[in-house]
Amino acid sequence: MTNLEPDNEITRADLVQRVALMESMIAEGRKSTVRFGWIFVLWGLIDIGGIAWEYRWPSFRWVWPIVMVAGFAIQYAIFAVRRRTSRPVYTNSVQSRSIAAVWSMMGLTALLFVAAAIVENGTGQIAFVSAILMFVGMAHATSALILRWPAQAAVAVLWWAGGIATYFLSWEYFLSIFVGEMFFGMIAFGLYAMWLDRRQEQDGRASAHA
Amino acid sequence: MPDGLPELDPVVHGKLRLAVLSLLITAEEADFTWLRDKTGSTDGNLGAQMLKLEEAGYVAMEKRFAGRKPQTLYRMTVAGREALANYVTALKYLLGAAL
Repeated sequence: MTNLEPDNEITRADLVQRVALMESMIAEGRKSTVRFGWIFVLWGLIDIGGIAWEYRWPSFRWVWPIVMVAGFAIQYAIFAVRRRTSRPVYTNSVQSRSIAAVWSMMGLTALLFVAAAIVENGTGQIAFVSAILMFVGMAHATSALILRWPAQAAVAVLWWAGGIATYFLSWEYFLSIFVGEMFFGMIAFGLYAMWLDRRQEQDGRASAHA
Repeated sequence: MPDGLPELDPVVHGKLRLAVLSLLITAEEADFTWLRDKTGSTDGNLGAQMLKLEEAGYVAMEKRFAGRKPQTLYRMTVAGREALANYVTALKYLLGAAL
């Protein structure tokens, strides 16, 4: 561009606009590029369903393996439907790979931990419950650090607090803690993430036109 | 244009092209749909601008399939990164000079 006149007010405004455009697009690109809010909502509902089932049928030890397998099957089915009904939207960044790695490894760790505890009949111990809450808290905290997202850091604190509370409160409170974590730390957070995704998408569409 | 002021690369300066390059700097690679959704552009406009960036050597395109669906992936080249860095430097200089 050879006819730029920096003294010209319009051109200066144009340059400032370009800077703002770059900043907004870089921020947009850094945001989570895959929409995962629904997964938190799904697992929150599935886990609450599992708690209800276990509450009604406490002697049946296969509640959680069945609930977890059913959860993964539902999640896979939703992924498959979404793949069929929408165009693939793809981006590959260090950040998105880091987030995916954190959550998939947390899921695998929890699965191995739960499986071992079920085999050894150790699911009724405080340490077992606390560790599950701590795992989820750690995944949220790591995710929050990568995304620099205070809302998710607050959710991590909520999970950790629940994990600590299980050591200090009696078993009567356990159900309330677990349901509370699932409601606020999964369902409410997932709905908030979905709402945020939708709003960011609308904002993004308004910010760049040639 | 006053002497001594840097020139802005016209390929980078286009609003939609600048938006795309700014998005691609954050992602190692991204598909056409993602870029279209993030920029709020139309298929035709984005396709034309991507072609200009490709011709300038600032982005590289790869076509592949995700399942049965075709996917057009773009990644920023080294030349593209340099061009964007030079553009930012020139922009800073011009804004500084204009203040």
